Amino acid sequence: MRTVEEVVSGVFGVERGSIDESSCPETVDGWDSMGHLNLVLALEENFNVSIDIGDVMEMGNVRKIRQILLEYGVRS
Amino acid sequence: MRQRVDHGLKRDADDAEALRLLYRVLRETGRTVEAHDLLNHLVEVDPSAATATFAHRERSKLGDAPGRPVRIALLSSYVLDPLIPFLDVECRRAGLASTFYVAPFNQYTQEVLDPSSGLYSFGPEIAFVALDLEDLFPAVRGVPSVDELARSRDEIRGTIATLVRELHARCNALIVVHELALTGWSPHGILDNRRGDGLSRWTEDLNRDLAEELSAQVHTFLLPLRQVLGRAGTERGQRRKLHYMARMRHGDAALRELARYSMRYVKPLKGLTRKCVVVDLDGTLWGGVVGEVGPEGIQLGPTAPGAEFVDFQEALLNLTKRGILLAICSKNNTDDVMPVLREHKHMVLREEHFSALRINWRNKAENLAEIAEELNVGLDALVFLDDNPAERALVRQLLPEVLTVELPRDASQLRATLEDLTDFELLALTREDQLRVSQYQANRRRQALERSSGSLDDYLHSLEIRAEIARAAPHHVPRLVQMFNKTNQFNATMRRYQAQELARFVASPDHRVYVLEVADRFGDHGLVGAAIVLEEREAWRVDSFLLSCRVMGLSVETVLLKRIYDAARVRQVPRLVGEFIRTPKNGPTADFYRRHGFRLDGDTDGAQAWILDPRVDRIEDPPWIAVKATGE
Repeated sequence: MRTVEEVVSGVFGVERGSIDESSCPETVDGWDSMGHLNLVLALEENFNVSIDIGDVMEMGNVRKIRQILLEYGVRS
Repeated sequence: MRQRVDHGLKRDADDAEALRLLYRVLRETGRTVEAHDLLNHLVEVDPSAATATFAHRERSKLGDAPGRPVRIALLSSYVLDPLIPFLDVECRRAGLASTFYVAPFNQYTQEVLDPSSGLYSFGPEIAFVALDLEDLFPAVRGVPSVDELARSRDEIRGTIATLVRELHARCNALIVVHELALTGWSPHGILDNRRGDGLSRWTEDLNRDLAEELSAQVHTFLLPLRQVLGRAGTERGQRRKLHYMARMRHGDAALRELARYSMRYVKPLKGLTRKCVVVDLDGTLWGGVVGEVGPEGIQLGPTAPGAEFVDFQEALLNLTKRGILLAICSKNNTDDVMPVLREHKHMVLREEHFSALRINWRNKAENLAEIAEELNVGLDALVFLDDNPAERALVRQLLPEVLTVELPRDASQLRATLEDLTDFELLALTREDQLRVSQYQANRRRQALERSSGSLDDYLHSLEIRAEIARAAPHHVPRLVQMFNKTNQFNATMRRYQAQELARFVASPDHRVYVLEVADRFGDHGLVGAAIVLEEREAWRVDSFLLSCRVMGLSVETVLLKRIYDAARVRQVPRLVGEFIRTPKNGPTADFYRRHGFRLDGDTDGAQAWILDPRVDRIEDPPWIAVKATGE
């Protein structure tokens, strides 16, 4: 299982080192609405969960993603 | 740098992360072509939606894409944009530099009806029309009555027929309409197919209506969406979420299948249909090595191991029914192989199914090049199937134009691997396609006659050639489309007209479209020549003149040209103008007009005009051809 940072860097094709807790749509190239969908699909696959749409909307940065995944019982 | 990249590729060929890193290096050092290649490799290693999207985005930044352009439009009642990255990947793999146009969300009708819309200024070569059943008929989410179902079936058919008609009236695109599919289980449960208002039968009928409606129009197809989705798995959970979040309908597995299937329309449109499958024998057509175990020892028969190979051979035989040729390229002794081809009782494929045989111990790349030459097709028309990875690697390296298929080690997957290839599609199956395999057999007999004839003249006379020339009718259009898009060597101007343009020329009073059919004592060649003549006030202009390579060297082109000349002479037309545009491939046409007494009247950048005065000059039919001219 990859970390959230690894999933994010993989989805947007950027260097792993450039992604941190505060990375968000404003700081990552390609993280637009379609990119966000792809990210959610990749997170679901990687952590084997199905994420509620309300939660999807809340996933504004890497830190938030990790918090929400915790609610699904995922420690990342 | 090159070394670093190659080294990195070797070490981390399967690591998407490493490939992305290498890609950035290439991009930043301005090595565009290699960067495009690496993106192809990356999406193969990691086929996710995210990576396809990444690759598509990067390509628009890279620019200078290698390959022939293709313009694809998507018209949809839902959000279909996420298909584009997948479609882009498939196009790049096929060597096409694709550009896309997506009609603004749910404005497909306006886009089609408005002649000044973005769609028409984009000028699509192919347009996919993807409408969702729930968008066309929202009541299908509930329990519609028999009356409602009947009414909506007619309405939907009418809506789609109108869209297609309007599209055809305003652009030359090939139109591909997606089938309409139900989402989820029927509200009637297991009683659905026992009721008059059952939804599954209604959907069947609706799609049958559409197939009927669309097959009556040229250049229009119905894409079997339900089969495509079935293959991907409907992924209902994901689809529903995508639907709520983004008004999308398909998850990424479905999009990937859809993109792949869509190439079955794009490839023949762009002339990328492969014409010949070259197969290895041991381990490919049967299990085991015949030289070691003998004809009775190979694995081939009704039970496994062996049944997989019978299945595979059947799929190959099926390809010949649509005019795909088969050839053998095997490292073997002929004496070991021929008893299997001729006598093994479970062989599906026999000697006569193969148009060329190379059974020897030479390098396979050389053999393939010879097969292409013998069959008079380009290397880019060949598909190579061989179970040996070393042979595949050799052919890939030496003959990159050949499609070398990665065959699975597991023979039970052979048939599916062949059927999954999107390279054998025809936009229309003509009589000429169905004749093709037997024509190559007839060719072998012709060659034997040629060798035994005393002179070329004797040979030509003994062939008993018959040529028939007629003005083209609408039913000739599918074959004309093939001719115009595939003929390279004997093609005076290389104008690649599509079905609609050709249909227009056939109907136009200013154009004369001629077709030439040829037969000889060995068989029927079918429709092998065509010409378009534009009647102008003071001259007739031969806009296109083409001849299939099958009948080159018989002088049948003279017969066709003479017919045009005769018509012009009867009308006392003062000038017959033959156009010739030089391309890298049409060398054999270069002296065509000169040979027939035309004089060069202008040459700008390889575009030449040749003229003849039909009132004074003469063209004669060759004495070895019996000519029949019908119509005017």
